[in-house]
Amino acid sequence: MSQAKLLDNKPARHHMGLRTSRLIGNSAIYAFLIIISIIWLIPFVCIVLQSFRVENTHQVGYIIPKKWGFDNYVNLFQTDFPRWYMNTFISALVTAALQTVIVLCMSYTLSRFRFKLRKPLMRLMLILGMFPGMLTMIILYRVLKDLGMTQANSVPGLILVYVASSGMGYYVSKGFFDTIPKSLDEAARVDGATRFQVLKKIILPLSKPIVIYTILTAFMGPWGDFVFARYIAFGTSAGMNVAVGLYNWLNKDQISKCYTMFCAGGVLVAVPVTVLFMCLQRYYVEGVTGGAVKG
Amino acid sequence: MKKFLAYLLTVIMVLSMVSFASASELAGTYDITVWVAAEVVDLTLAQIEEFNQTNEFGIVFNATVEPVSEADAATQMITDVEAGGDLFCFAQDQFARLVQAGALAKLGVKAGETVSAANAPVVVSAATVGDTLYAYPLTADNGYFMYYDKSVVSEDHIDSLEAIIADCEAAEKYFAFEMNTSAWYLASFFFATGCESTWETDAEGKFVSVKDTFNSPEGLIAVKGMKKLVDSPFHLSSSSGAEFSSGAAVVVTGTWDFMTVQGILGDNMGVADLPSFEVDGQIYHLGSFNGCKLMGVKPQVDPARAAALHQLAQYLTGEKCQAERFAERAWGPSNLNVQASEAVQANAGLVALNAQAPYSIPQGNIHGSWWDIAKVIGDDVKAATDDAGLQAALDNYQAKIADLFKLDTNALLFVGAWNGWNNADDTDTYYFKDNSLTLDVPESDYMGGRIVNPGDWGTDKGFAQVVTGVEYIKDLGADNPDNNIVFAEAGNYTVTINGTEISIVKN
Amino acid sequence: MKQYTDLEYLKLSRGQKLLYKIASFFCSIPQKIKGLFVGLWNLIKNAGKAIGSEAADIWTTFRDGDWKTKLSFFIMGFGNLARGQILRGLLFLLFEVVFIGYMVIAGGYWLSMLPSLGKVGPTEEYNLIYDAYVTTYNDNSFKILLYGVLTIFFIIAFIYTWRVNVKQNKMAEKILKSGKQLRSGKEDLRSLVDDQFHKTLLALPLTGIIVFTVLPIVFMILVAFTNYDGTHDGYYNNLFTWVGLDNFNTMLSWKVGTGAGTQSYAATFGEVLSWTLIWAFFATFTNYFLGMFVAMAINKRGINLKKLWRTILVLTIAIPQFISLLYVSKMFAKNGIVNGFLMSMGWIDQALPFWEDPTWARITVILINIWIGIPYLMLITTGILMNIPQDLYESARIDGANAWQQYTKITLPYMLFVTGPYLLTSFTGNMNNFNVIYLLTGGAPTNPAASSAAGTVGYTDLLITWLFKITTGAESQYYLASVVGILVFIVVALISLVVYNVLPSIKNEEDFQ
Repeated sequence: MSQAKLLDNKPARHHMGLRTSRLIGNSAIYAFLIIISIIWLIPFVCIVLQSFRVENTHQVGYIIPKKWGFDNYVNLFQTDFPRWYMNTFISALVTAALQTVIVLCMSYTLSRFRFKLRKPLMRLMLILGMFPGMLTMIILYRVLKDLGMTQANSVPGLILVYVASSGMGYYVSKGFFDTIPKSLDEAARVDGATRFQVLKKIILPLSKPIVIYTILTAFMGPWGDFVFARYIAFGTSAGMNVAVGLYNWLNKDQISKCYTMFCAGGVLVAVPVTVLFMCLQRYYVEGVTGGAVKG
Repeated sequence: MKKFLAYLLTVIMVLSMVSFASASELAGTYDITVWVAAEVVDLTLAQIEEFNQTNEFGIVFNATVEPVSEADAATQMITDVEAGGDLFCFAQDQFARLVQAGALAKLGVKAGETVSAANAPVVVSAATVGDTLYAYPLTADNGYFMYYDKSVVSEDHIDSLEAIIADCEAAEKYFAFEMNTSAWYLASFFFATGCESTWETDAEGKFVSVKDTFNSPEGLIAVKGMKKLVDSPFHLSSSSGAEFSSGAAVVVTGTWDFMTVQGILGDNMGVADLPSFEVDGQIYHLGSFNGCKLMGVKPQVDPARAAALHQLAQYLTGEKCQAERFAERAWGPSNLNVQASEAVQANAGLVALNAQAPYSIPQGNIHGSWWDIAKVIGDDVKAATDDAGLQAALDNYQAKIADLFKLDTNALLFVGAWNGWNNADDTDTYYFKDNSLTLDVPESDYMGGRIVNPGDWGTDKGFAQVVTGVEYIKDLGADNPDNNIVFAEAGNYTVTINGTEISIVKN
Repeated sequence: MKQYTDLEYLKLSRGQKLLYKIASFFCSIPQKIKGLFVGLWNLIKNAGKAIGSEAADIWTTFRDGDWKTKLSFFIMGFGNLARGQILRGLLFLLFEVVFIGYMVIAGGYWLSMLPSLGKVGPTEEYNLIYDAYVTTYNDNSFKILLYGVLTIFFIIAFIYTWRVNVKQNKMAEKILKSGKQLRSGKEDLRSLVDDQFHKTLLALPLTGIIVFTVLPIVFMILVAFTNYDGTHDGYYNNLFTWVGLDNFNTMLSWKVGTGAGTQSYAATFGEVLSWTLIWAFFATFTNYFLGMFVAMAINKRGINLKKLWRTILVLTIAIPQFISLLYVSKMFAKNGIVNGFLMSMGWIDQALPFWEDPTWARITVILINIWIGIPYLMLITTGILMNIPQDLYESARIDGANAWQQYTKITLPYMLFVTGPYLLTSFTGNMNNFNVIYLLTGGAPTNPAASSAAGTVGYTDLLITWLFKITTGAESQYYLASVVGILVFIVVALISLVVYNVLPSIKNEEDFQ
């Protein structure tokens, strides 16, 4: 910082040149940011606009609705949409809670403990992660079916599958824990704290960003799952999540009647995730930064 | 043996006029799941309720009706038959897959008779494998025709593909005809020139042979016509009626888009049979598939439940329910009585479908993989730069068809000449499977043919290689430069290839 | 190749160093393969030795042990119970009871059926009285395979536990002989939150991974050796059975196709694989550099509304991809709004073939993927960029370095070092990026030359979307999908291996602590 001050105290003629060039640079950057913001927002805005279009219900070639209204949103509530939304919301909430616990257990252990099977375990999980998960859907479906967790009871089944394998995604949070100095643990251990107490009293309070990051990513997962959840719901409307339900509206026999409603549903799905992201963006950045450093 | 015994007993029973299950034996309450298209969920619920009230057997169904797309049902059922709907509706192209997957329960004798008598024969045969019905006909309107925007395409032009394309290009509007993603639509061009792809199954629904003439001089004409369309910068590969609001002036689709199109075009909406195209001065009217939708019953463990479900399926696909579905959703009926009703005869969408009917081909039982193989032709034709490229597309197609039967590389197909050589309409092509095939040789001037590699009309093996069964074929000596196998008399023969030797057995 | 000494190596430029490392990696492959076999041999040798010594140890434990130990060989946990370690003893005993019960009730059956995968398929019979066909379902190949594998897992777990049980007896005897006290149940429990805390923490996650990841993967690998498909689903139509290496032969042989236009599976696989690699490369690096650029732009001193810019980009994360991507896909259609806009501006007079032409389609998916990826990369790099010590830049500025030099000399090396592992995971992640391809193009346009028996393969299909098409296609060829899956695994593993051997920051896990 002291050097930065020094720089500012340089003679004035330098100052002028620096300022104008910075001004030009900054305007260029503003222009760039405005352009990419527009590009990034177009699809989002279009989807929102479609959701307020009421002159017809199918896909059209223009963006601005000819007639505006809330009909699509109102109609949503005459379908199974609220049920799907609740299913997804519940599974997202429970998944977020359980997955966070599991991921933290896993990553904390692998970051802090040195035991015989640690390296082989990490290697094994790396290898497991290289298998295309797509293939195992059919078998997971059959297992869940034997457990009675498909069709109308799909919510616990989905949660189970989302949570069960989540231990494999320990990389980012392990990276975060790696950045917390080990000397903290050791000092506490010397004072007679158990490992559990170390975790509870010292590590967790320092880990807010990574906890929030994990919760956030876990919460977002279930909203977009239209492949596996489709297997699990297996044609039963009551067991669908919002992605599967909405996705079914894109079938040829439905799309021309449900397209605008599909967009309205999409907007409602985006609401909780957007709100969470806006509030917790700072932690997300901190968490992922700490984690990605060690990935 | 078991089966034979069953048939025998059935015959005895029918003869002795013993009635089938008496009413009381079916009585009971059954929890069932029914999969139907989303738009008829409520209607179906009401119809089941009515069945509960009116049936003579004392059957009560506790039905859950789920909206499952008819295009999707087969994929779901095949993934897990047990979890599928007890009754489910599906489009005809999935019939073969469902039979093979064991997802369809055969109809009982009585149900079979009733259904055959009440429905259009084309539709009944679409649900039949061997001699057995596997599903209940639900609709008979699964075909396509042309919707157009009268303000863009003039009514004088609707008979000509070329004129329509010109109109569209002039107006910078799109001609939507699904060519790169659907074999169902692109077969239209092949049917125009008289090509066919007819598949044969054995009694279990397993495909044993195919008569496929897409790769022929007529097929080449068809792809030349197709090339005119796909090369237009204003051709759009889509079959959605909603395209009219995204710049389309013509869309080829079916009755199900009627309301959507009407909503967009209003008075400008025109419907017509498909146009004709011209190649080398000849005019060919585009053909189409004429298919249906079916309702299947999932195989059941409990006979009473099975019988009860079949009763319901029969009711739901019966005259009354079909009439209701036509009245509420304009689904074209397969039931002969409903078809004959005035309202159906007057329906605009069905009228257009009927205009196309003379050029349409009943959609038979087609191998599930055919749809994947044939849909590639569209992209292939587009990529082709000359006639050789077009021919390559067809060769490619035929090679894949041959591949389906896992034929070995030296003996592939038998081209029969009994209906005339190559002058195309009816060159009969039979595929060897496990080195053997069964031929039905009809009485004709020249009861001969040759064994060729796919995509190559030169004889691979023929007369000179026949070792066993020489007595069935004629030795024409010098009159047979192509080494053809010419049968002495009509009949049913089994031709087996053993290394370089051919043996023929008369059945 | 030329071997450098350490000193020579240090003199090389950064790029040369990397090239040298990559080259030496590939040169060392023969050596490594040899090493692999030597290693394998040693492994077998050592394993043999280990089993031998284990057996010897078990035998001596039995021979020298007291009656409590001897009885524990048959009644697990007996020794613990008899020596007062009630909690441990009961757990052992319970496990044995559960195991024996399971084997008697179910496990034995599954195991005995495993070699055949079932004997009797479903039968259909005509029921005269009801005039209906009734199906009787019998053996279930799918369940036999699944529960057979599960039973084997269980047996391994049992053997391991039994061994632990034997060991504990030996230890207990030794401890008691030396006059010390055994741990009480209470102490055992306490150790679970202290020196054995890692076991407590890992118990739940690992159970989940074994049941829901390892078991399915083992199952799917085994499927590659069966004929499981839509018409052999193991229960409803036909049983499936072991076919040995047939599927690999089909997949890897070049001579399946019968005609000129029919590619073999191997050729199709090769084509899809090469596009997958090209895609993964571009998808990873375009996102990486552009994302970093956007983050730097937003982070630049003097740029206001930082939070607003970030939020705008992040909105694309919030809308589920199946909604946004489907919309974007439609935007780029021939009659979509992008073409409509370009035409109305008079820039083009006919629609651009975004999805119709193979090359266009490939470029378009990569471009749209930038739209998807940048927000994530922006978030990730934002924090890391802020972590770069500012004095590095200050001193560079004093030395007269311009912005570009600062970027190449400070930012980029730092970022590459720090995010090396991330780049690797995102590369393999992109290879398996199902959503983007499936939702945007579904693989289109189709590749006419590709083998059709495995579903229609398109020019933009990745291995993972092809795999999905195989399982959901007309013939639901799970066995083939499984073979493709194994090949995908091998490719990904090879790439990771190469990168791991070249990138320094992955190996040195402790560097940053």
